[in-house]
Amino acid sequence: MIRLIINRIFATILVLIGVSFVVFAALHFSPGDVARTILGLGATEERVQALRQELGLDRPLLIQYWDWMMALLRGDLGRSISLGVPVSEVIFDKIWASLLLMGASFFLTVSFGLLFAALSGGYHRSLMDRLITLLMLLLASLPPFWLGIVLLIIFGLKLRIFPISGVGAMADDATLYVVAMHLILPAVTTAASSLAVVARVTRSAFIDEMGEPYVQSARARGLSQRRIISIETMRNVLPSFVTIAGLQIGFLFSSALFSEIVFNWPGIGLQLYLGIVQRDFPVVQGCVLAIAIVFVVGNLLADILSIALDPRRRG
Amino acid sequence: MRLISILSNSKAYELLRTLQRDKSASTGLWLLIVFSIIVLFAPIIAPYGPNEAIPSLRLAPPGTPGHLLGLDHQGRDILSRIIHGTRLTVITAVTPVVIGALVALPLGLLAAWYERLGVLILRTMDVLFAFPMALLAILVTSSLGAGIINLLISLVIVLLPYYVRIVHQAAASQKALPYIEALRVSGTPVRTILFVELLPNVAPAAIVYGATVLGSIVVTAAGLSFLGLGVQPPLAEWGVMISEGRNVIFIAPHVAALPGAALTLFVIACNLLGDGIRDALDPRARATLSYQANLSK
Repeated sequence: MIRLIINRIFATILVLIGVSFVVFAALHFSPGDVARTILGLGATEERVQALRQELGLDRPLLIQYWDWMMALLRGDLGRSISLGVPVSEVIFDKIWASLLLMGASFFLTVSFGLLFAALSGGYHRSLMDRLITLLMLLLASLPPFWLGIVLLIIFGLKLRIFPISGVGAMADDATLYVVAMHLILPAVTTAASSLAVVARVTRSAFIDEMGEPYVQSARARGLSQRRIISIETMRNVLPSFVTIAGLQIGFLFSSALFSEIVFNWPGIGLQLYLGIVQRDFPVVQGCVLAIAIVFVVGNLLADILSIALDPRRRG
Repeated sequence: MRLISILSNSKAYELLRTLQRDKSASTGLWLLIVFSIIVLFAPIIAPYGPNEAIPSLRLAPPGTPGHLLGLDHQGRDILSRIIHGTRLTVITAVTPVVIGALVALPLGLLAAWYERLGVLILRTMDVLFAFPMALLAILVTSSLGAGIINLLISLVIVLLPYYVRIVHQAAASQKALPYIEALRVSGTPVRTILFVELLPNVAPAAIVYGATVLGSIVVTAAGLSFLGLGVQPPLAEWGVMISEGRNVIFIAPHVAALPGAALTLFVIACNLLGDGIRDALDPRARATLSYQANLSK
C-alpha cells in the first residue's frame, strides 16, 4: 500500500509540472502583446519594448518558463496589473472564501449524495426510489449559473430569506450565523449536479450489494432493512462512494466558479473572472494554477483514501 | 467487448429497439427530435426575428399579447430568441463532441499501437486531466480570445483527454486479440490494421462516451458564453441570454429564467438519452436487467 501511495505522489508531482507548463504556455501563446496590454494602446513602442525586456518576454520560451517556475517555487507569481499587488497576496486573500465554499459544497455533496443513494438504492423500485431518481436527473441537468440565478430570484429577491451577495460573509465581524446564511445558496448551487452524480452512482452500488448472498443471510437472521442498509452494505459501498465523491472535486470547482460569479462570492473564481474581464494575465495565471493545484492534491487525497479503504488494494 | 460487438455487427437497429423499450431513454430521444426540428426550422417557427426589437415593450412580462414569454431588456421577443438560440446552443455543443471524437480516434489508436508514443500521449492527457473541465475551457478561451471558433476549439481540448483514454483502452484490448495478430503476421500495413480493421471496433466506445458527455458539454458551452468567453451578444444563444438577463433580475426575472429553463430541458434530454445508450451497451447494466428478468420468472 505504501508503495502504491508513493507512486501516486510521484505521478502527481509530474502532473503538477505539466500543469504549470500548460498554464504558462496558454497565456504566452495568447494573441496580443502582454506588455502592450499592461501599458495600454497609448504607450510608445519604446516603452513597450522596455517593459518586454524588463519582463523577460524577449528571451526564449523555455528560459522564461524556467525563471517563472523558479519564482513560482519561491511563491512569487508576479504582480497583478489591475490591483498593483503581488498575485500571491491576492490568491492568499481570496482562497479562504473559496475553500469555505468548496468545503460546504463538498459536505452537501457527500452527505446528501449518500443519503439519497441509500434511500433509493436500498429501497430499489419503491416510489421513493423513483422520486429520488427523478429529482437526481433534474439536479444533474441544472446548469449552475442558471440554478444560482433562480435560487437568487426565489430565496433572495422574492422570499428574502437569504442575502443576495456573498461579500458580507467575509466581513471581519461576521458571526457564524451570518456566514452560514451567506453560504447556503452558493453551496447548494455548487453542489447540485455533483450531489446528483454521487447519488446515482452510489445508488447502483447499493442495488448491487442488495443482491449479494450476505444480505439475504442478514435478512434471514431477521435484521431490519434499515440496519442492512446503514451498517451491513454501507461498508462495501464505501469504496465506490469515496471514488465517485473524489471525482466530483473537479466538477465542484467548475460549478463553484459559476456560483462565485452569480453570488458575488469573494473567492478565487470571482477573482479569475475579474482577471479575465480586465485582461490581468498574472492574476488569471495565478488563479488557474491555484485551482489546478488544489484540484490535483484533492484528487491525490481521495485516491489515497480509496486505496486505504479498499481491502483488495490495501495489500 | 459486448459494446463493441453490438455496434460493429451493424446492430444499430438493435440499439434503437433497446432504447425504445427504455422509457426514459425514449423520452430523451423524442425531446431531442423536437429540438432538432426547432433547430432546422427556427426561422419559420419563431414569431419574430432574433434581434427584432419593440422598444416600447421592453421587459414586458410573459403573457403580453403576441409575446408568450415576454420581452427582454431591448424589447426583443424572448420566445423567438429561445427558438433561434437553439441553433447556436446545439451547434456549440454537438460540434466539439463530434470533432473531439475524430481527433481522439487516431491519437488513441496510435497510442495503443506504438507504446512509447502512447506513454507520451497519455501523460500529456494526464496533465489536461488535472484541470477541472470549465477551468481548462476558460484558460483556453481566455488565451485564444472570445468567439464561436475559439469556443469550439477549447471544448475539443477539454474533451480530448477523456476521449483519448477511452479509445486507447478499447484499442489496447483489441490489440491482444488473435485477428490482429493474424493481420500482423500476414504483413498487413500498420495503417490498414489501425484505420481499417481496428477503427470500426473502437469507434463505438467513443460514440457512447460522446453521447453520455453531451449534456455536460452543453452546460460548459453555454457557461462560457455566459461568462462572455464564447458566443457574443447580440447573437441569440441561451448562455448569452441568461447573462444579459442577469443584469435585470431585480425588475424582470423572467429574462434570465426562461432561457435557462430551455437549457435545462435540453440537458435533461441529452442526459436521458446518454444514460439510455450507456445502459443499453454496458454489460453490467444488462446483467442486472437479465437478473431481474430471471427473478420475475
